[in-house]
Amino acid sequence: MKQALEGSQAIARAVSLCRPQVVSAYPITPQTHIVENLSRLVADGVLDCELVSVESEFSAASVALGAVAAGSRAYTASSSQGILLMSEVLFNISGLRIPLVMTCANRALAAPLSIWNDQQDSMAVRDAGWIQLYCADNQEAVDMTIQAYRIAERCELPVMVCVDGFTLTHTLEVLDLPDQQLVDAFLPAFHFDRKLDPANPISVGTLVSPEFFTEARYDHHQALLQSAEIIEQTRREWQDMTGRDTGGLLGVAGDADARVGVLVLGSITGTLQEAMEASTDTEPACLITLRAFRPFPEQALRDACSGLERLIVLERALSPGAGGIVGSEVRAALSSLDRPPRVFNFSVGLGGRDVPLETWSRALAAVAGNAGAGFDMLDLEPSRLPQEAL
Amino acid sequence: MGLKITRGSYAKPGTSLAFDTGSWRIQRPEHRHTAAPCHAACPAGEDAQAWLALVEEQRFREAWETIVAVNPLPAITGRVCHHPCETACNRGDYDTPIAIHHVERFLGDMALQEGWDYPLAPVLDTAPEIAVVGAGPAGCSAAWHLRRRGFRVQLLEATPEAGGLLRSAIPPYRLPALVAEQEIGRLMQTGIRLMTGQRLGRDFSLDELRDGFAGVFLGIGTQQGREWSIDSATPSDLYVGLALLKRWMDVGAIPTWSSVAIVGAGNTAIDLARVLKHAGVPEVHIISHKAIPGPDVPAADAMPAIGREIEQGLEEGVIIHEHRGVQRLILRGEQVLGVELVHMKKLSDASGRLKRVAFEGTESILHVDQVIPAIGQVVDPEGVHTLLDNRAYFQVDEWGQFPERPWLFTGGDARGDRGTVSEAIGDGRRAAMAIEHFVHSASDSPQDNPGEPIGVDQLNLNYYEPGPRPAVAVLEVSGRDGYAEVEGGLERRQAVAEGERCFSCGDCLTCDNCWTLCPDMAVLKTREPTTDGSYYVFDYGYCKGCGLCANECPCGYIVMRDEV
Amino acid sequence: MTQEIEIPLAELRRNQPRFGGLESGHRACLGCGEALAARLVSESAGPDVMYANATGCLEVFTTAWPDSAWQVPWMHSLFSNAASIGAGMEAALKAQGKATKVIAMGGDGGTFDIGFQALSGMLERGHNVLYVCYDNEAYMNTGVQRSSSTPHAAATTTSPAGSESMGKRHLKKDIVSIVAAHHIPYAATASVAYPSDIRKKVRRAMGIEGPSFLHIHAPCPLGWGHDGALTIEVARLAVQTGLFPLIELERGGVAGAMPIREVRPVSDYLGLQARFRHLFADSARAREELEHLQALANHNIEVYRLRGESRQDCMDSEGADTVRRGGMRWA
Repeated sequence: MKQALEGSQAIARAVSLCRPQVVSAYPITPQTHIVENLSRLVADGVLDCELVSVESEFSAASVALGAVAAGSRAYTASSSQGILLMSEVLFNISGLRIPLVMTCANRALAAPLSIWNDQQDSMAVRDAGWIQLYCADNQEAVDMTIQAYRIAERCELPVMVCVDGFTLTHTLEVLDLPDQQLVDAFLPAFHFDRKLDPANPISVGTLVSPEFFTEARYDHHQALLQSAEIIEQTRREWQDMTGRDTGGLLGVAGDADARVGVLVLGSITGTLQEAMEASTDTEPACLITLRAFRPFPEQALRDACSGLERLIVLERALSPGAGGIVGSEVRAALSSLDRPPRVFNFSVGLGGRDVPLETWSRALAAVAGNAGAGFDMLDLEPSRLPQEAL
Repeated sequence: MGLKITRGSYAKPGTSLAFDTGSWRIQRPEHRHTAAPCHAACPAGEDAQAWLALVEEQRFREAWETIVAVNPLPAITGRVCHHPCETACNRGDYDTPIAIHHVERFLGDMALQEGWDYPLAPVLDTAPEIAVVGAGPAGCSAAWHLRRRGFRVQLLEATPEAGGLLRSAIPPYRLPALVAEQEIGRLMQTGIRLMTGQRLGRDFSLDELRDGFAGVFLGIGTQQGREWSIDSATPSDLYVGLALLKRWMDVGAIPTWSSVAIVGAGNTAIDLARVLKHAGVPEVHIISHKAIPGPDVPAADAMPAIGREIEQGLEEGVIIHEHRGVQRLILRGEQVLGVELVHMKKLSDASGRLKRVAFEGTESILHVDQVIPAIGQVVDPEGVHTLLDNRAYFQVDEWGQFPERPWLFTGGDARGDRGTVSEAIGDGRRAAMAIEHFVHSASDSPQDNPGEPIGVDQLNLNYYEPGPRPAVAVLEVSGRDGYAEVEGGLERRQAVAEGERCFSCGDCLTCDNCWTLCPDMAVLKTREPTTDGSYYVFDYGYCKGCGLCANECPCGYIVMRDEV
Repeated sequence: MTQEIEIPLAELRRNQPRFGGLESGHRACLGCGEALAARLVSESAGPDVMYANATGCLEVFTTAWPDSAWQVPWMHSLFSNAASIGAGMEAALKAQGKATKVIAMGGDGGTFDIGFQALSGMLERGHNVLYVCYDNEAYMNTGVQRSSSTPHAAATTTSPAGSESMGKRHLKKDIVSIVAAHHIPYAATASVAYPSDIRKKVRRAMGIEGPSFLHIHAPCPLGWGHDGALTIEVARLAVQTGLFPLIELERGGVAGAMPIREVRPVSDYLGLQARFRHLFADSARAREELEHLQALANHNIEVYRLRGESRQDCMDSEGADTVRRGGMRWA
């Protein structure tokens, strides 16, 4: 049923449809509306679950971990500093192969303090061993949250569903919220083979010697690589049930024969799409939306990029002293192509800076001619820089 | 198939059992039984710790059977023994010693009441026969232990009944006649052939015994009073303490002087003093070279009589002159008017030997009608001249075996280095063991050494609770008539409580400490007792040898030994 | 007497008359107090329990993959989140309608220090979790560094005694009072030297619907510098001197204290341990610190009224540090 919902409300409703038994969270802007909405659903009796309002994000993740280990479907959500505070637990959850789903309402990391959106937080934990999915809009946020549970429980891996803070979480959109029956049919009741159980009392979280540690890591790595297929399979199943093609590893739109492409994650997708549709005077281009950053869809990316001469990677994060994060990985992935495109990597919209429609023309201009294919900040205002940075 | 990493690196339950932590061990705990001090101190050889354990569990009959395997007369010894076991008891270092003699008496009395029979196998007609001369404590004990060992026993007694001084010299207020009669009577029902009125030297000779029996035990005691005079003076109507006591026991009457001085410090002196007191003698004095026992009195200086008896005598009005000697008899003709006393003490001389010294200027006069020496007895030489060789007592080894007469044994008072019923009972048992070895020409020597007893420092006293020693009913002084038993017995619950108070020195208490406290779960508990009698085994596969169990064993039953 | 091994030990082990939550073959040091305490806790708690274990010695020595010494569902996540993991387990079990009890546990570092916030949160939210702290008074797993539980004047590798130092300068954190201040139904201290008391307190806590806390004093022979055989002896002296009072608190108020039968001077306790060796130097500072520790013990004795009227009166049978012949015999 189509309805106009705030992103956070929609995500909360989607989580609720997945029937988590334990929800634990700690408030942080811009994640708060999700948890508030869930609390409301619990208070109103729509959702029957244990809502644990913990004393820190560290405990939020830990409670969720404990809950899944004890055999319940669980959920948590956070942002920014909260993601960093729980980062130790995030690594632990994935290493223990715990199927948990969380939402990251993407926000910049301090200092300087910013409550606004970029993706530095989820990028900072990209090596935590989680599946990371990035949503372009709130319909995707709903669909991919539900898919995330299916993926997590099939792979026994945790999934972080990343939605841009404010841009998505606080924005009203008309979207289709699936009904409970459909979700119940799509997502079987929670079952976890390795749950803690007095009748089958395994020990979880052991000390592994150098003799086996490498194999343990390899097993985890393989699980993430293999999850790519599950992500795609889940996308197809969802499409079969809802008719909507959301999720998956990446999406390609625009001109299939284009020689220039642009790769983005998250809500910039919509802006770019609109800008590209509007700019009829520019050369044809294709838009690649990276939905799964982990596992990194190397092959799908190569397929999408073969034939491109130039690829613009726009990202809302930075690895200071190196440059772009996504850009570097894309460049490395494409290097094995016979004729890899030149990759132009820009950061945009850091700390909540608006990403306007002109971003597209600016990007095209920046990569025109023989410009160097390195990294730059597309929306930098040099006039605002101190002398030392010039 | 090799080991493969599991998803999320989980482990299966209890799989650590595959890991042999026992290989870390450099010392191993072992169970070791060590004699309790009560055991080592018992002249009869009783392991009180063992039977107290059974009392605690209310296995009274087993407890009694444990005693009678060593001492057939617990109802008697429970009353008359001076119980050195209690002096040795480690519990004395904690609060008060276990009232072992009370519990022994409790069991002895219970056995008489319940009519329990001694556990015995029938004796074979073909078994070797041993002659036992004298049916006093030593002879009875020897006869019993020979009987237990499967010998036929001929017990020869000069008087008309068995029991010796148990029935002829220990006053009934200490040992009721019925108890002595019942307990000795029960012993005589065990197949021991008793012949009374048979006196050595008169009715039969040593040579006849040697020829007629596989072995001979002489339990003839000391039937002759030690000679006594002060500067060659003796009263005309000299009574010897033991003889007087025996006469009173026999005929129930005793001369009633108005004041009497008894010379001596042993049980005969006290018994006689109290009998005289009970019989109405107004003034009864005891003249003792030694001191009244007390906490500050060294054992060597204390009167050898049982402390309790001295105490009760004092309660009854017996006057004890400690550290005094009789310097002179004050006689009119041969009639006693009094004695001159002098302070005396044993002091070491230049060579370090103890010597009695009288202190000049400390003389005093004590007016009494009669002086009675109770200074000890010697062996009656009749029929045993050749064995005595002019000495007062027999000279034998620790088993009672005579030199050059391997078939002949003795024990009890006749040895001279004894003097108590319990020692006599111990001698009888040891002699029986030695006789068995002699008769069967065993190549090894008999063993009767409980070993060095466990000290209180080897126990862990933290695990015991303070508890009072039980009080027994004691007859009011006014009610003591010489016959009614002065001390009462324990109630059942009191006996059990004493069993509970027992530290169980050197023996497993089955307290679970080792099982409870092992950080490695390397102590396992068994349903049935193991070969060492405890209910625990060490699982050396996991025991790391930390020694915690040994340190926390209350009883000192676990020791650590180096791994080889 | 040498024991004759004729009894099938593995079978005997399987049939011991107690619940074996923690098995042999763990890799704790000789005489480890924590291993003993953990077994006593798991034995008393029984099989229907789920455990959350903080990082630390206990976790390391019980679960060196592929081996686990646990016979109960058990999980280690991190150093500082045992209480939160426990809270999550409890929430899940509640949602599933199961009565399985959750026990969270950690050492003093994981409880007093790094896991303190998570513990406070768990207690405040009223989770039905028993939290057990095995207190060996320093970071033993990392090599004996001081924690906020390390007692005053104890030497550790980060509070060594030296010409300018008498060991740890600060006081031991009064964790049980802080915990009790959450007004939880039950908080108690216990000691490995008093196993029956531990059992009693665990059973008590198991029966409580809501958060409970058990703080168990567990000597570390390696870190404290005493022979492994003396673990119980040392723990007992901590109690007998008054330095580690055994108390129970209900809803923040003192509800019980185990009286000390015979109060011992603190030097009896300290003298057994190398970590306090510097207090016995012939110096004014050493004497002062020794007096300081004695004063701390006296203070405990006064505050918790640990001294009975007489030796007999304050005999503790309920704490059952005493033994009885065959009292525990396999019935």
